[in-house]
Formats: sequence, structure tokens, C-alpha cells
Amino acid sequence: MSDIALLRLRGVVKKFGGFTALHGIDLDIREGEFFTIVGPSGSGKSTMIRLLVGMDDISAGEIMLRDQRIDQTPANLRPTCMVFQSLALFPHMSVGQNIEFPLKLRKDSPAKRRERALELLDLLRLPRTYYDKRISQCSGGEKQRVALARALAFDPEILFFDEPLSALDYRLRKALEKELKDLHVRTGKTFVYITHSLEEAMVMSDRIAIMKEGKIEQIAVADEIYSAPVSRFVAEFMGEVNLFDVISVDGETLQSSALTISNDVTQSTLPVGGKGLLMVRPEDVQFVGSKDHFDYVLEGKIHAEYALGSRIQYEVEADGKILTVETLRESRIKDSEGLPVTLGFNASKTHLIGDA
Amino acid sequence: MPANKSTRIALFIYGLFIIVFLYLPLVSVGFASISRARYLSFPIKQYSTKWYTTALESSTVKDLLLTSLSIAVIVTLISVVIAFFGALSFARYQWRYRTLFQKLILLPIFFPQTVLGLALLMWFNALGIIPSWKTAVVAHLVWIAPIATLIVAIRAYSFDPSLEEAARDMGADTGTILREITLPLLMPGLVSAGLFAFLLSWGNFPLSLFTTGADSTLPEWLYAKMVSGYSPLVPTLGIMSVVGSFMIIMIALAISWLLRANRESRAASN
Repeated sequence: MSDIALLRLRGVVKKFGGFTALHGIDLDIREGEFFTIVGPSGSGKSTMIRLLVGMDDISAGEIMLRDQRIDQTPANLRPTCMVFQSLALFPHMSVGQNIEFPLKLRKDSPAKRRERALELLDLLRLPRTYYDKRISQCSGGEKQRVALARALAFDPEILFFDEPLSALDYRLRKALEKELKDLHVRTGKTFVYITHSLEEAMVMSDRIAIMKEGKIEQIAVADEIYSAPVSRFVAEFMGEVNLFDVISVDGETLQSSALTISNDVTQSTLPVGGKGLLMVRPEDVQFVGSKDHFDYVLEGKIHAEYALGSRIQYEVEADGKILTVETLRESRIKDSEGLPVTLGFNASKTHLIGDA
Repeated sequence: MPANKSTRIALFIYGLFIIVFLYLPLVSVGFASISRARYLSFPIKQYSTKWYTTALESSTVKDLLLTSLSIAVIVTLISVVIAFFGALSFARYQWRYRTLFQKLILLPIFFPQTVLGLALLMWFNALGIIPSWKTAVVAHLVWIAPIATLIVAIRAYSFDPSLEEAARDMGADTGTILREITLPLLMPGLVSAGLFAFLLSWGNFPLSLFTTGADSTLPEWLYAKMVSGYSPLVPTLGIMSVVGSFMIIMIALAISWLLRANRESRAASN
């Protein structure tokens, strides 16, 4: 992966009549990276990918591929390719004909096309006998692979994905997430992936952009998105989170209704009187035993318990709200409901979100 | 839903009854056509194929068939073209008053055909056009093109537009998309629309009655002979018309089957 931006967006705006779907997007995607754009429905991520592949026109701004403006180039002349949410496999063609479609448009000879299609079947770990199969005879996972093979046959500069896994069941989705990541490594191509699932993004991506209401909230590596979100929206997007409203009382301390937090640990830059959010993830909160020491301690009462498989999740009423705590299965508490408990967490596990 | 034995027997008898009900009149006409007698009467005393020979030798019959066939073929071709573009514009594009237009163009189907035929005849007169089989083509189109469009539209609506987008994304221009994606996928709809158009035109009586002028189609002639001066050729031509329609359907099915077989063998060989 290099640091040179392969795809560069500057001030990209998209309007549909009076509605602005994208408000001036700036974005750099590097060559060879697996870049994922995540957001809930209506965040503008689908609009964005349609602009990037050229299926819609931008209203303002620039899109550049290797320092060449491409935003006025129609989709059929751009050196990029997309795997559609519906996969868009041609039902009247065989698997082989689907994969060869971009090669046929390029007027490659039938022998060369066939050879490349068979190589791609190998790459996607589909048996070569699938060449003559009809699309309707393929399973959901096989169709995904055929769509991928077809996009790779095009040999695009950037391969775009529009939520191609969203229609699959959980287990197949998990397996294909890993395969896709593996395929990214093996092909060395630049992948740009759109999804509404941050979990999916975390598994596969080098970097993630989080979108909200037509703007990018945060761009960072997966771990940073999880541990150091820049806003309440990003923090809550990735599963359960505990957030405390805090106010900076002086240069030294932050105050919430139940906690007093020394500024040394949070490195807060909040001005005096400034408001923020202190975040701590459920797995970083623990039940306090007699010998334990924690930086922050809260009294509470267990409200509910949920088994998550390897972990147990508790909802604890404390500080006038419901906090979420996750523990390993072996430290499960028996008859937990209504039990008074003490919660503890360390300053090093917290993250301060300013300007809340 | 699994049915028990008595239900199955009841359903079988019910089905048989429907078939007999539908086909008995046709079968009786079939018998009538091979009766030697000049007038329709049962039981048939003596069988003969002489009316078929007469029909095939008659120049009136030849003219009738030619007129009916010309109208039906032209109506079919024009209807399919209109249906293709009409259905695509309904299914694929958003435009102002689209839904209103969709409903309005279907209205002629709900007009009684006799009223529609008379209205068209008055129009042709007002415009100073002398009715002939060519004006009948226009009249048939008014009624048949919307039906053909409806048939193709059903197919076009079930067609995922991302297929065309994907083809474009992979470098196909508009002409290539039409040839490689849109036409092959709409083909079943176009074939059924064409068949319907042909059969509806071939068998149409009320519109032809008003708009063919001095020319005469087969259904018109059959009606005229029933009303005044019965001809023993009536059941014969009736059967010939049914057989003709049936053969058209068979030919269409055979063509679509051959196209598919050809596509599959191409898929297997390249």
C-alpha cells in the first residue's frame, strides 16, 4: 500500500432537486487499500458510490483518478467496475459468458476469453465445470463469486462493492467477508466497499469512513474508529457503548453527575465550562471485588442479563441511567436480577469526545 | 397441499367438464365441416372433405385469407415495436404524468369494440380517408397495441435495471446494452405480445366490420354468411382459421425453443 491517493474527491456535492444528498465530500483513497464507507440508510453512501462509478452526475466538486478528472466521464468509459448489491448477473448467459462479458466488449478472442474465465474460476475457488452452468443453478455464495470473477475480468483500477453481502445469511456472510479480505491481498487491487454494517467493515477494511446525513463523520483505521470515535454518532454506531455527559469545571477536572475525572488521564482540551462525552466500552467496565482497584467506581443495581454466547451482557442501573457491562462467560453472576453491584473502570480505557 | 383421493377424483371430473364445455362446440363445427350436406344438421349422414377442396380452390377464400393475414401481420409487427418502446419507457423512466398516461392508453380496451369501430369510421370519414383493409390496420392497432404494451410491460417491470447499469459499467454502449441485455431478456414478452397481437387481429370482427370498407376479412365473411345466405364453407373456414392460429402458435414456440437451444449450444461451445 502506498500513500499516493489513487482516487481523490474534492468538495463533491450531489443534489436531487431541492434535497442535498452529499455536502462537499473530501476524500483520498490510496492505491491498493481496502477502503470501506459505512453509514445507516439515508447517509448518502449509496449516492456516493453511484457518483464514483459514474452512474450519476455530481452537482459540484471534482473526482480525480491518478490526477485525471473523471467526474464528467460516463460509466462505460471509466476504468472502474462495481459489484452490485443485486449482483446484476445476466440471467440469460452462462457463468462463463457472464465472466467473459467485459472481455467480449474489449473484443478479445474467444480462446483468450475462455482461458481468462477459467483462471478466474480458479482464483475464486469455483470448479472449472461451472463455466457452462446457468446462473439460476448457482447458490447465493457461488453467485457472489461469479459476480466477483466478472468484475475482476474487467481488470478495474478500482473495484467498488455496493453491499454485495447484505442479502446473505449470517454464516455465509462471515465466510465471504474473510474470503474477500483474502482476495484483496491476493489481487493487490484497490477495493472500495459500501456497507451499513460497521462490523463487516471492521473485519475487512484497512481504513473506514463513517457517513452521516451526507457528510463524512470520521475517517480512520478500524481500531481507532472503535476506541477513539470523534462523535456520539460514531461511538453508538459500533454496538453498545456507555457515554457520560461531562463538563469541564476547571483546567484540572471534568465533572459528570456521578464521576469526577482528573484531566491528566483524558488529555482533555475542553475549555472551562465546555461540555463533552466520556466513553467507555462495555467490555472495559467490570464488577468490583473487595481487592480490586479502579480509577472510577459507580454504585448500581443489575437490571437485566443477556447471554451473547462467549460473553454475558448486563444492563446496570447506575448514575440515573442504564449502563452496559460485558463479562466473560465464566465470570457469570447467578440470580443477577436486582442485585446491587459496584462498577469500576480505568481512566486508560476511556475516551473523551469533545464538543458534545 | 396434498389432496385425498375423493378430492382428486372430484377435481379431475371438474377439469374434464370444463374441457368438454370449452371444446364441444369446436368439435361439432369440426364435424360439420366434413359433412356432405349443404346445411348444418346433426347427426351427420355422410362424411366428405369436398368443402375443403372447394375452399382451397375458391378465389374468394384466397382473398379473405390474404386480407386477414395482411392485417394481422402488419398489426403484429407494429404492435411489437410500439410495445417494446412503450413498455421500456413505462418501466425504466420517470416522467411527468406517467401513471396517468399509462391508464389513458389502456382505455380503448374498455370501450365496447363496436363503439370504438364506429367512432374510428366517423374519424376516417371526417378526415376524408376511404376505409379499406389499411384503415382496419389502424383500427386494430388502437385496440391491440395497448394490450401488447401491457404484456411487454409485465416483463419489463420484472427486469432488474441494474443489469443494464452493470453492462454499462463494464464498458458497453447503449447499442450493445440493447442487443446483449435488454432485447434477449424482453424476448419472451415480445414473443407473447406478438402472438396475442396476431391472434386478436386475426379473429377480430367488430373493428373490421366498421373499418375495412369494401374489403372483407375472414370473420366478417363468416358473419355475413351466417346472417344471410348460409354457405357450407362456414364451418370449413372456421376450422381452417383455428388450425391456422394453432400453427402460428406452434411456429412461435418452435422458434423460441430453437433460439434457446442455439444459445445454450453457443454457451457450451465458446
